[in-house]
Amino acid sequence: MTNSAVIRTDNTKIDVSDIQGFALKGYNFPFARYLLLELLHPKAAQNFIGQVVQYLTTGERWDEKPVATVNLAFTHRGLVQLELPEAALLSFPVEFQQGMKARREILYDTGKNAPEHWDPVWSEDRVHVWLAVNAQTPAALEKQCALLVQLMEQTGGARQLQAQDAGAIFIDGKPTSKEHFGYTDGFGNPDFKGAERECVPGQGKLAKDGTWEALATGEFLLGYADESGELPVAPIPHLLARNGTFMVYRKMHQNVATFRDYLEKQSRLYLGGKEKLAAKFIGRWRDGTPIELSPDQPDPAIVQDDNRNTNFTYGNDLSGLRCPIGAHIRRANPRDAFGFHGELVNRRRIMRRGLPYGQYVPEGQPVRDEDDRGVIFMALNASLFRQFEFVQQQWIEYGNDLHQGNDKDLVIGNHDGKGKFVVQGTADAQNPPFVCAHLPHFVELRGGDYFFVPSLTALEMMASGSVDPR
Amino acid sequence: MNAITPMKPWKTPLLRVFFFILGAVKPLQTDLKNLSFIHFARWVIITRHQFPQLSPQQPREELRYDYLMFFSNFNGTWNQYIDAFSAVLSQGLNAIWRWSEKFPGSVPVTPFKAYISQLQFDTDYYYNAYPRAATNDVKAALRVQDAFNEFVKTSQTLSPSDFEKAYRQFLVRVQADLGSTGMAPVGT
Amino acid sequence: MANQSGQVYGLTILSPIVENERIDICHATELRWYLASLPRDHTSPFARVSSTHLARLVVMDDVVFVGAPAHEEHLKSRYLVFETNFDGDLDTYLTRMAREIPEVVESVWKHCVGYPGVADPAGFVAYMKKCQIATTFFFADVNDKTVQQNLRALQVQSALAHFIEKNQGEPAAEIQKSFGVLLERLAKAPAPLPGGDDSEETSAEDRPHD
Repeated sequence: MTNSAVIRTDNTKIDVSDIQGFALKGYNFPFARYLLLELLHPKAAQNFIGQVVQYLTTGERWDEKPVATVNLAFTHRGLVQLELPEAALLSFPVEFQQGMKARREILYDTGKNAPEHWDPVWSEDRVHVWLAVNAQTPAALEKQCALLVQLMEQTGGARQLQAQDAGAIFIDGKPTSKEHFGYTDGFGNPDFKGAERECVPGQGKLAKDGTWEALATGEFLLGYADESGELPVAPIPHLLARNGTFMVYRKMHQNVATFRDYLEKQSRLYLGGKEKLAAKFIGRWRDGTPIELSPDQPDPAIVQDDNRNTNFTYGNDLSGLRCPIGAHIRRANPRDAFGFHGELVNRRRIMRRGLPYGQYVPEGQPVRDEDDRGVIFMALNASLFRQFEFVQQQWIEYGNDLHQGNDKDLVIGNHDGKGKFVVQGTADAQNPPFVCAHLPHFVELRGGDYFFVPSLTALEMMASGSVDPR
Repeated sequence: MNAITPMKPWKTPLLRVFFFILGAVKPLQTDLKNLSFIHFARWVIITRHQFPQLSPQQPREELRYDYLMFFSNFNGTWNQYIDAFSAVLSQGLNAIWRWSEKFPGSVPVTPFKAYISQLQFDTDYYYNAYPRAATNDVKAALRVQDAFNEFVKTSQTLSPSDFEKAYRQFLVRVQADLGSTGMAPVGT
Repeated sequence: MANQSGQVYGLTILSPIVENERIDICHATELRWYLASLPRDHTSPFARVSSTHLARLVVMDDVVFVGAPAHEEHLKSRYLVFETNFDGDLDTYLTRMAREIPEVVESVWKHCVGYPGVADPAGFVAYMKKCQIATTFFFADVNDKTVQQNLRALQVQSALAHFIEKNQGEPAAEIQKSFGVLLERLAKAPAPLPGGDDSEETSAEDRPHD
């Protein structure tokens, strides 16, 4: 298919043919289905995995885009079901072994976000495998899924527990990167050494001279040096871990009616207007323009230019006058907002791969919170504990590092009607100081777990029962 | 956090010299302030002859090492705290702890964390006068208090429209410091 | 002076704990149990010695062996470490401990060698100074405000945040009036308790906002 499986950049050699494709890049296909599977008898399951591997999409460069991709990942229970050796199973990080449900106190998955409110598929701890198909057309999606279901039946190795559809929101017949609250998503995935595409300014880490550099590969892939100058802690044996990574999967239901209602009501008092207030919540105008770069109006020229649309810092806006200190993207990636050239942020980056699910309802048309819609949030990182869990616990559900005390992220914070969000402003009437109080629960967690995304080598070992932890 | 490390006695004066410089050199102290998650921290050198002996019945200590004790009160989780130290304070930390036996260096972070875990000891009783306020909260509150006092002084006799302007200016002054206080996230 | 940073004094005391093989429960253990039972909130003894910012008590069993080629060695006694950060001077603080929390001081330091009791505060102060170890380097992020000033600032901050939220969008004359009311309530509000909660748990009458 390709002539070179190994791509060198910055002296980092990554064996892209061994790494699952979506760990290296987002496919940008508009249709997806995530099959959550239970593995059955270990031998049959191994056989099933062996069969699926033949269809797996790797990180190799495409001469021609496939119509559909296939990838898979395992919960710890899935690895147990595959009868990996005990020593290997116990060498996985604690948070992965426990699974996301057990970590609920750490993640603030309590109250409305608590497991009691999740989709039933998560209640019996039988989700072993995440099997994902991304496709260019609905027909290709159905065909690929049917093939995989057939493999399940033929081998008797797995059983589908739930099929979660997701996909780009179509507006005027075209796929967009919008999500249900109306924001354009998908900016700002981290650049790391050895990744195929060019470094996009703003996505990597800040060098001392203010330019952007790719992050160490080991922040996102096991077996490579990370930002702290060592190989990340990884399961044994090496071959099981190398070229693999960890993924968090969270089904995030969006209360669109509540959000639209709240924005509407708050806008009546906010002199900058509704769209500006919406931009202040997130840190980008709804078309994607970063308000740090364009505080007064959206700017399509910036959005379309990859050299600009994520190329900004907060160093000149420490007071939050353009982008509020507690805005969503500023919480998720503070860049240089904490000083120290962004050093404190470099090891807290996550790679996002999510897609919306459910029917899109345009602004102005009636919509209900109870309708099934939201975002399937997926993030990849070498350490769930140090990266995803940290951002979730310390920067989303808490605000001390940002000097916002206990205030939570407006959009996805676990509010109980009591929280607040401050929009810092100036004497300018169009940019007033403003407090958004009594924050309702805009986004509710409906399930999820932690998954291990093995390399092709690791999958072959798992399929043939030959994982040997020495 | 409480930690104690042994030092060969000939190294102790070298450490004292370093602290003398640390006390006098602003940038290192500034880094600690800018990290903004430590209320108080202290280093205490206790030489092998300095362990208090309060009665002849109490046996005198006979030690070959001097000891460096470290006490700190910080916000955030232990891992976050050590990660931050390793990421941005490594030079200062190395200068302090390089005199301690078997110190592995503060970078990379995993052996550093293992070393600290070994020489930490637990607190039996801890009291904090502001348990729900992080050091950032205290600093923010003091700024708000100052702004409030000034605003009160100047605003008492203003007309409503002048009050409105002054109030707006007051908001702009305090708007970054209004975070709520409360319990910190669970340690991990 | 190494023990001081701005207005705050950093005290480090190492008191040797009595070793007595003949008793059933050794002093260190009893001391640990006692410390575990002491309250940590606004009913803490250190809330009464109200110039205390942060304090800790640690029973240190031994020094640590970091591994070969370092040599293994052991302390002959266990030590009670008392580390505290407070406003004002040392003599006043120690005297306050003797006068205001004598029961607690007694229950803790009775396990320590050479403890003279608290009946004579000056004697207690002298004893503690004998156990004092000079701080080599003391860092205090906020070192120019007393405990009471910090607590009051936190109270004002919380009240103002609520006020701002509540009066958003109101006409100027209304805000001005309400502000006057807030001022009165803040002036009358009782001093917040050290070691306690802040306004979230204070009773409604005591809360200056709302």
